[in-house]
Amino acid sequence: MTGLYANTIRETASQLDAVMGLSAPSRAPSQRFRREGRAGYLFLAPSLLFFTVFLILPSFFAIFLSLSQWGGYDLTQITFIGVKNYSDILSFDGTFVSPILVNTLVFAALSVVLAVAGSLLVAQCIERLRFQGFWRFLYFLPVVATVVAIGNVWKMMYQPSGLINGLLNALHINSVGFLSDPKIALPSVAVVQAWASIGAAVLILTAGIKAIDRTVYEAAEIDGANSWQSFWGITLPLLRPSLLFVFITQCIAGLQSFALIIVMTKDGGPVNSTNVAAFEMYQQAFKFGAWGTASAMAMALFVIIFIITLVQLWVSRRAGDDD
Amino acid sequence: MAVRNKRVRTPWLSYTLVAVGGILMALPFFDMLFSSFKGPGEYGILPYHFLPQNFTWSNYSAAFDQLQLGQLFMNSVLVTLVVTTSVLITSAMAGYALAKLHFRGRDVIFRFILATMMLPPFLLLIPDFLIMLNWPLVGGNNILGQGGDGGMTTNIMSLMLPFLVSGFGIFLMRQFMVGIPNEMLEAARIDGAGEWLLFYRIVLPQAKPVAITLGLITFVGQWNEYIWTSLMASTNPDLMTLPVGIQLLQSFIDPNRTMPIVMAGIVISTVPVLLIFLFFQKYYVRGVVLSGMK
Repeated sequence: MTGLYANTIRETASQLDAVMGLSAPSRAPSQRFRREGRAGYLFLAPSLLFFTVFLILPSFFAIFLSLSQWGGYDLTQITFIGVKNYSDILSFDGTFVSPILVNTLVFAALSVVLAVAGSLLVAQCIERLRFQGFWRFLYFLPVVATVVAIGNVWKMMYQPSGLINGLLNALHINSVGFLSDPKIALPSVAVVQAWASIGAAVLILTAGIKAIDRTVYEAAEIDGANSWQSFWGITLPLLRPSLLFVFITQCIAGLQSFALIIVMTKDGGPVNSTNVAAFEMYQQAFKFGAWGTASAMAMALFVIIFIITLVQLWVSRRAGDDD
Repeated sequence: MAVRNKRVRTPWLSYTLVAVGGILMALPFFDMLFSSFKGPGEYGILPYHFLPQNFTWSNYSAAFDQLQLGQLFMNSVLVTLVVTTSVLITSAMAGYALAKLHFRGRDVIFRFILATMMLPPFLLLIPDFLIMLNWPLVGGNNILGQGGDGGMTTNIMSLMLPFLVSGFGIFLMRQFMVGIPNEMLEAARIDGAGEWLLFYRIVLPQAKPVAITLGLITFVGQWNEYIWTSLMASTNPDLMTLPVGIQLLQSFIDPNRTMPIVMAGIVISTVPVLLIFLFFQKYYVRGVVLSGMK
């Protein structure tokens, strides 16, 4: 639940300005402001203390570590080496750019496309049905399950003696090594990622569709538009804000998640085929104790996620201007 | 005429699509449930059977013995309750200050809290881990955080500390509390009520719905938390929660029926969250939609 992104933030910030602008001027004596000020800081104190210890301090520490060489736990052993960690991991001779970053992008792209397409289809259909609560509940089940449950169940279903190969065999199709074949292991995990996140996306898109004014559809119907045309001409463009939110959050989740990969493949195998950037960072840090290298990887991934998010916002704004 | 026909017609295509999708969503859960009842020698063999042939409860008792489910359950409950309580209290307090009190730096702080939500958790994994390790005066560390073996990572507090405050929670509370009428607060102030009394008597009771939503989201998220907890507990089974224990203790299980026992453990760990979700679906769903809409 890392939540809400740039456009939301900008929006609320401007709301805040409005609130401040309206309420700040004059009134009440300064003594009251002093009293409120003291109370305000007291109410905020626990949160601010927390953010200082677990967010601000660690952020600077992470930047510093990414510019240092350090193995083990002895703080006196840290040596500052500038951008060497970055140039090392970003050199094309290593494994970080290829296959690991490539895997990360493929994994995110696959899971985003599957989840967005699937949730859009379901949200569009679910809205006309009876028992909507029941259907939504079904799709939402995986969202409340732990990654350990999801990962292990799918790992079991993917096995040669599991449910999916059982079905394939019943149809006289040869078994597939979903997690053992390096070519299809990554897509296999991406499918699970999409499966697990589709429920939240369905909810948000259904709410978005419900918010569209019915009269627009009626007008289109009178003009002779079929349901396919209304979907492309009305639903999609008017759903753009919800769709953008789902797209961006799914993208961010796909780029940074690695819990599913730990549970399903343990070490990013077979032969690095499911190793993604965040998981490589985790391994470098907690398996090999290479704090510097790992921190540089974390920073690199953060910058990549940030840039991809900005590009998506920018593209969406451009598309919006064209409308 | 054509229009009316369209309205009355049952949307069969939609039903089929949603039902097929629904089966895909539910099938893994049924496979989980049925596998947890499969007897010895029934798992991992061909041909595959969806339903257990020799129905047995023995995987559940094995899960309690071999996975120490009782201990894991207690840890999960403790950590989740402490974190949820803390997030609720701190979010309500900070949300109130940001929504209803006037003081210098308020909008800077609010912007900062919005920004914290954009920091991905993996970025803080390494520094937070090192902070735990070098926490002063715990786990044998001296006042400078040196000399011990493990520091805070030996203490169950380490599972909770990084989750005690939530930027998202503060944001949610603040957005809700902005809507509380000022007249109500002013009236109480004129009667001489202090800010704490105001907060406790007027603001908190009104914030109940949003508190339930935030509490549910936090509860479910913390109950299912994996990466950080597994890091803290990797060498210390005393600190394992349900998901972490089920994952990390797999190698100690009877190898002939690892998966059925794991599935039994997973069923037990999933049931509480599922029940909570069933009863409070409305609130949880609203939280997800809120985070997407606003």
